[in-house]
Amino acid sequence: MSEKFSATLRIGDLNDYIAPSQGCVVSLKANSNSTSSTSKLGKSSSEKLGRPGHAVKSGETEPVKISLKDCLACSGCITSAETVMLEKQSLDEFLSNINKGKDVVISLSPQSRASLAVYFGLSPLQVFRKLTTFFKSLGVKAVFDTSCSRDLSLIESCNEFITRYKEQRSTNDQQSKLPLPMISSACPGWICYAEKTLGSYILPHISSVKSPQQTIGTVIKNNICQTLSLRPEDIYHVTVMPCYDKKLEAVRDDFNYPVTEVDSVLTTGEVLDLIQSKSVDFGTLEESPLDKLLANVDEDDHLFGVYGSSGGYADTIFRYAAKVLFGKEIVGPLEFKAIRNSDFREVSLEIGGETVLKFALCYGFRNLQNVVRKIKSGKCEYQFLEIMACPSGCLNGGGQIKPKRGESVKELIQSLEAKYMEDVVVTDPFKNPIIKGLYAEWLDQPGSEKAKKFVHTKYHPVVKSITSQLQNW
Amino acid sequence: MSLEGESFELREIQRLEGHTDRVWSVAWKPSTGVDGVPAVLASCSGDKTVRIWEKSPSTGSFQCKAVLDETHTRTVRSCAWSPSGKNIATASFDATTAIWENVGDEYECVSTLEGHENEVKSVSWNASGSLLATCGRDKSVWIWEVLPGNEFECVSVLQGHTQDVKMVQWHPHVDILFSCSYDNSIKVWLEDGDDDWHCVQTLTEANNGHTSTVWALSFNASGDKMVTCSDDLSLKIWGVDVMNTKSGEGYAPWKHICSISGYHDRTIFSVDWSSEGIIATGAADDAIRLFVENKDNLVDEPMYKLLLKKDKAHEMDVNSVQWSPEGDKLLASASDDGTIKIWELVSV
Repeated sequence: MSEKFSATLRIGDLNDYIAPSQGCVVSLKANSNSTSSTSKLGKSSSEKLGRPGHAVKSGETEPVKISLKDCLACSGCITSAETVMLEKQSLDEFLSNINKGKDVVISLSPQSRASLAVYFGLSPLQVFRKLTTFFKSLGVKAVFDTSCSRDLSLIESCNEFITRYKEQRSTNDQQSKLPLPMISSACPGWICYAEKTLGSYILPHISSVKSPQQTIGTVIKNNICQTLSLRPEDIYHVTVMPCYDKKLEAVRDDFNYPVTEVDSVLTTGEVLDLIQSKSVDFGTLEESPLDKLLANVDEDDHLFGVYGSSGGYADTIFRYAAKVLFGKEIVGPLEFKAIRNSDFREVSLEIGGETVLKFALCYGFRNLQNVVRKIKSGKCEYQFLEIMACPSGCLNGGGQIKPKRGESVKELIQSLEAKYMEDVVVTDPFKNPIIKGLYAEWLDQPGSEKAKKFVHTKYHPVVKSITSQLQNW
Repeated sequence: MSLEGESFELREIQRLEGHTDRVWSVAWKPSTGVDGVPAVLASCSGDKTVRIWEKSPSTGSFQCKAVLDETHTRTVRSCAWSPSGKNIATASFDATTAIWENVGDEYECVSTLEGHENEVKSVSWNASGSLLATCGRDKSVWIWEVLPGNEFECVSVLQGHTQDVKMVQWHPHVDILFSCSYDNSIKVWLEDGDDDWHCVQTLTEANNGHTSTVWALSFNASGDKMVTCSDDLSLKIWGVDVMNTKSGEGYAPWKHICSISGYHDRTIFSVDWSSEGIIATGAADDAIRLFVENKDNLVDEPMYKLLLKKDKAHEMDVNSVQWSPEGDKLLASASDDGTIKIWELVSV
């Protein structure tokens, strides 16, 4: 499978290409007349069978079309067929939708903004303005900011955490209690791994709140479209993300009803390709005013947002819980202490010598394994975990621009971390006027029925299919 | 030990029966078979169990002392004793690695390591017993840290191989990990300064390496040579100039010394280098072969010669050969025929 996906998705994958040794189950199902290879694989032990080159590739009989949705529903591999992914969510598709007269709207992630800012030596605000100029010159109607919708995700997450925490403390012994630790849900690589590999024991721990990508989708297609006087079905909504796994997230059935929240996901690297293919001198490009309808920019044109380059879930919920549950207002950055390595850090709140809150950031596959082990054995001491599949979190996503020649990944991450918060005024999500407005006129209050309908989702364990288990390599 | 001018025979001491399916691997318990401690051998099988065999001091024959069952739900592909002999780790096609603790004659499963997506193929403890490595069909190599209280923490998940990883093996003296794969390569893994591991060398066809699946590898006693065996019907001897990786001199790369080919005509599944310098192989032609360094040869490069070939050592494939660790010239072999055999190398 493609190196571009997060390492967590790659470990879940069985094959680099759809090879017969670990064949794609979807193709086997589709070509039911060619299932003889399946029965062979079902034999006692094929540990010592011959080389893969000797077998017949599934494609040699008849080409099989596999969609990303087929891949999501399947317990076998994720798919290596990059073409499968790029067909529906590509630059070509993006441009052709503009040409078709669709109302193309873009939502830009702050991580992508930072990546481009480092690449071009600009500030994140400059990048945002120049990208607005660039996309609008192509015919895009609006360029929004997912750090805005992220504030909505964060508020709902804070509310969910308090609800879970209080439920756990209550004497009411109902079976329906949602467990702690609560785990963040914004990383699609983690969600995919949890559903496909870990299964039903872990899913109740995962926050039901949609990611900022899906939240901005639901806001645009269900609410803002009216302000823009656009029909949801005419809108082609494209997000720009640091991560290929987001493409898989966008095609989940849960996010396609009643309307498709995100029609296509482009990675930061793909946007850079687009800029370069149009021979645009990005550095000298004019800076356009921003679409403040869904963007975290104040009246003085300062960007605002939360601490934490992977969404700030642990940071925001920790502050909120400290305030709401223990009356402690925390000012300034939180002190996250590295436990094993810089990708596993924890923060705790002590009151009267007693630790009352303990949260952790857990990035990368190896750290993920250890917390999952602890949860399974009932030894997890944290109430909240911000899990991200990639080491160093979202700034290091597979869709980001690669290090320049001679630059190490570590150096690039450091530049990105610094750039990410440049000119950003740290602001409590609850004070975001746009989000306040959305609650006032549309969602009522955090955790309301409407909020649940539009901003929350469900997870589904993927049942291992018999065909995927038959393979006994 | 001088092997010059003598004739040798591999004499069958005992045939161990009990497994009800093919036997994949055997492992001698460290520090047994010496100083009055009876020799102990573990075997694992397609019958999902591990059997522990102990040499009776009175009769001198091996008896099954324990059956480790009802834990793995599929084939147990390999087993490895911790250096202290207190624990045994078992790698299974059920995607888990089990850790068993030995108290008296009892073996209790004290931990299960999950994480591999599917079949786990091999497990290995480092020299101090502080680290455990596993590998499998999902192409990954995992390193676990052994913590007090039978806790295990994942230190690294290494993705470098492009196919099924057949075996992991720690260097006998320093914390360098070796893995070999269906992708025809051998990879060398080393910890970097930042608490993670990375691949420092890949030995492929381009380095005079193997042209087909590399099934197993083994080190000589001093740890400056390594032998690998393959589906390409050859053995390769690799050497390293200085073992200075620990002294901060940087990584010393392994180099191809010679190939031993022309002796096998079927896949070589297993290779083991004894503390006395005898290389044993187990192959798909049901035979066991022994090789030694050819000291008569005066060219610069050391060469190896066939000491003996034991035809029909088993009725089917020989999956594993292991020398007893105490230099008493005992060899254990495991086969698809469901048996384990104990052999003694004797001069005739």
